[in-house]
Amino acid sequence: MNLSKRVLKELYYNMVLIRDFEDMVDKYAKKGYIPGFIHLSTGQEACQAGVMLTLKETDYKFPDHRSHGVCLLSGTPKERVLAEIFAKKTGISGGRGGSMHILDIKCRNMGFNAIQGANMVTCLGTAFASQYNNTQDVTAVFCGDGTIGRGEVHEGMNIAAKWKLPIIYVLVNNEYAISTRVESVHSYPKNLSDRAWGYCIPNEVIDGNDVIAVYKASAKAVKRARDGEGPTVLELLTYRWQGMFSGDPAAYRPKDEVKIWKEKRCPIKRLREKMISDKIFSAEEVDELNKQSLEEIEGMLKYAIESPEPEPQDALKYIYAGKEVEGR
Amino acid sequence: MRKLSFGRAINEALDQEMGRDDKVFVIGEDVAQMGGDFGVTQGLWKKYGEKRVKNTPLSEAAILGIANGAAMAGLRPVAEIMFADFITECYDQLVNNSAKVHFMFNGTVTCPLVVRTVNGAGFHAAYHHSQTPEAWFLNVPGLYMVAPSTPYEAKGLLIASIRNDNPVIFLEHKLLYDMEGEVSEEPYTVEIGKAKVKKEGKDATIITSQRMVYLALEVAEELSKEGIQLEVIDLRTLFPFDKDTIFDSIAKTGRVILINEAPKTGNYVNEISQTINEEMFEFLKAPIKRITGLDTPTAFAPKLENYYLPGKKDIIEEVKEIVEY
Repeated sequence: MNLSKRVLKELYYNMVLIRDFEDMVDKYAKKGYIPGFIHLSTGQEACQAGVMLTLKETDYKFPDHRSHGVCLLSGTPKERVLAEIFAKKTGISGGRGGSMHILDIKCRNMGFNAIQGANMVTCLGTAFASQYNNTQDVTAVFCGDGTIGRGEVHEGMNIAAKWKLPIIYVLVNNEYAISTRVESVHSYPKNLSDRAWGYCIPNEVIDGNDVIAVYKASAKAVKRARDGEGPTVLELLTYRWQGMFSGDPAAYRPKDEVKIWKEKRCPIKRLREKMISDKIFSAEEVDELNKQSLEEIEGMLKYAIESPEPEPQDALKYIYAGKEVEGR
Repeated sequence: MRKLSFGRAINEALDQEMGRDDKVFVIGEDVAQMGGDFGVTQGLWKKYGEKRVKNTPLSEAAILGIANGAAMAGLRPVAEIMFADFITECYDQLVNNSAKVHFMFNGTVTCPLVVRTVNGAGFHAAYHHSQTPEAWFLNVPGLYMVAPSTPYEAKGLLIASIRNDNPVIFLEHKLLYDMEGEVSEEPYTVEIGKAKVKKEGKDATIITSQRMVYLALEVAEELSKEGIQLEVIDLRTLFPFDKDTIFDSIAKTGRVILINEAPKTGNYVNEISQTINEEMFEFLKAPIKRITGLDTPTAFAPKLENYYLPGKKDIIEEVKEIVEY
């Protein structure tokens, strides 16, 4: 399957947009504009861009905590994604959640639950609802390699397989759970996702920095789920360029290792070179996409910076449906 | 009026709500063909089929995960957790997800689910099948907690809980299942958040719930022969509790006894006590008393278990102490 020029262009643009977004967020976090924890997905753009382009707006998405890109590409006005990270009233959740909790029911971004593993069972519920209502909407749930240690993964996969729920598990294996290397704490056959065999769920291990491979594998898994054939686990092998959070020096990783991933395995550089060498795009066309991305980022940034902060009393809203809560 | 057992009243509520709204479904362990460990969901699988009565493996986190996801997607799940003690296995989903959905989504999504679960000691079932978990959830804004004591209230409160747009923990005391009482055949609701005065009196107020309501009523009956008139309030909704009914009673009696089966330290009733202390202090004629389980696990041997539970004698002693204070 050769991808059309339009699809390649979108994949490339979306990856560049995520990269530029993360660089900008990192910069403004360090400048003191953003409170709290920031988990950057720099280096993992192909995992997010590749999967997201295979989903529809009515499909349910459960991003993981390193998923600004998933939120940007869900269909939410992008400036409101950034405003949420900036703790502004205009943020998609009015500043209630921040970087770790960007959610939007309008485009069925069900949000990241910052308790790792929790979404591995919550995702069963939206997939069950699709089945119950006889719709073709699938549920894509993202998680990291660290999450695989949680019991919910196993409770969830067992039921997903038995009920043939339309779920795509996107296991983003970036080798580290904070400082802990995946093979140092997990027991598994050859690949981490081979555990899915135990639940009769097919798994596919993919170079997570090859966006075309990610896109193709995801499209296949989505089709399988839509056709009622049940869940698939996609294990995407990748690497985060940054530490666990913005500002983490990540002293637990060998410097050479980071260097190899940055210089030899950059997903964006890789697609750019392919698009140009295959003569699908000229270098100028690609440069133009990079320029457009920066312009789009500028627009979001202006909106986020100029937006007001929430009123303190906004904290009292929406604790219960139909009941007020007392303030100070 | 027709009489039904507590368990059958709950069954009728489920049946009538499933008949009224096809978004309502039941999920849990052994709830389908078997009809639940205590028989509460009997007949529903046959009537509504496998699609709406879902048996699960022993996966409480997944049961609540499915309930949360489905509720966010617009369905109205009624999940059964076989024993309240097992709720620790899905505690994360309830505390970090169900309770916070409406807040997280900035009011654009609700989480209308009910978790039915079986609590309470007195069944000689030891420490993993006898606990009363109210206090585990009291510190979690976003949850409702309901605990009826009669078949009539069980049916009406469950229908109200299913129709409520918030997550509701619905406690069923295992020793009440066979109790019979009058229950209307047609569907009806009992308002969530409203307590009920089960016996009027002027000398002291007993505030309690579930099985302990009956103990309180027995004591009230006995002491009335000695000229002590106790008022007994059945909370019915544990959270949010009904301050108005509680305060009206205290304004009249000035004396309060709180009864609950769970251990004393950090007991649910402590919150009611502190609220009375802050808002009704000038009406109090004696210190607020609480009669609870001991600060121990619930033991198996009937002699050990009975020693753990609040008894009539304990209540009578405390009542006399505060009445004579």
